[in-house]
Amino acid sequence: MFTHDGSHVVLDLETQERDLLTQLYGQLHDLLAHDEMEVDADPFIQLMNMDGPTALPQDEALARLFPNAYLDDEEAASDFRRFTEPDLRRKKLSCVRDVLSQLQAFELVLALDSQQSQNWLLSLNDLRLVLGTRIGVGDRDEDEDDEAIDPERDPGFFLYDYLTYLQGTLIDVL
Amino acid sequence: MEIAEPMVHVDVPWVTIVWNDPINLMTYVTYVFQTYFGYDEMKAQALMLDVHHKGRAVVSSGSREEMERDVAAMHSYGLWATTQREDA
Repeated sequence: MFTHDGSHVVLDLETQERDLLTQLYGQLHDLLAHDEMEVDADPFIQLMNMDGPTALPQDEALARLFPNAYLDDEEAASDFRRFTEPDLRRKKLSCVRDVLSQLQAFELVLALDSQQSQNWLLSLNDLRLVLGTRIGVGDRDEDEDDEAIDPERDPGFFLYDYLTYLQGTLIDVL
Repeated sequence: MEIAEPMVHVDVPWVTIVWNDPINLMTYVTYVFQTYFGYDEMKAQALMLDVHHKGRAVVSSGSREEMERDVAAMHSYGLWATTQREDA
């Protein structure tokens, strides 16, 4: 969990948590990096930062991370996406890579600077968006929220609840 | 001589709308409104509750360019945001 020692945000993890997070962040990294750069793209277009995609990603989790910016104007939504999605994807990836390198060097307790805590906050949220979309959190019966979740039967919800708890402890100390 | 009515409403500002979703935590959404827009806790919380209960809230208004910047920022925080003309 995240705490605050008066000067720093402090992250305290069990070995098992660190391994679990390393695995989840690895998956998020692969999802974001999958079609990161088109090898044959025109270098001029790349230079002008006009190389982005124009359509909503087909993968529902990616579509949640990169939603349309216009509801009723397809052309404006495409233009916005072409100019902003590559940059947004790079930012999300750089957060994930930073957290992964922190996890690799991790000795169970870690004092974070403000940039590192921001990277944790944003990437934990992306992780919850991806996992939550995959397991259909919106379809979950609200009455069941407080009941204990059996990790054997519902590993997705168990992980999701863990990430929710972890992100909650970080928001509390920011 | 008649003067033609302007075809577009040049004075109508654009707005950024944040939509409700089942994943983002209420405390997180409040934190984002405080951090990015600089709103005080009361205003940020009121906007978050609007999103939660009414399904959406207008969180900022201004020129189209400014709103596109705000929408991009909301997306970087993982909030679901869109922009449109205020009267649309």
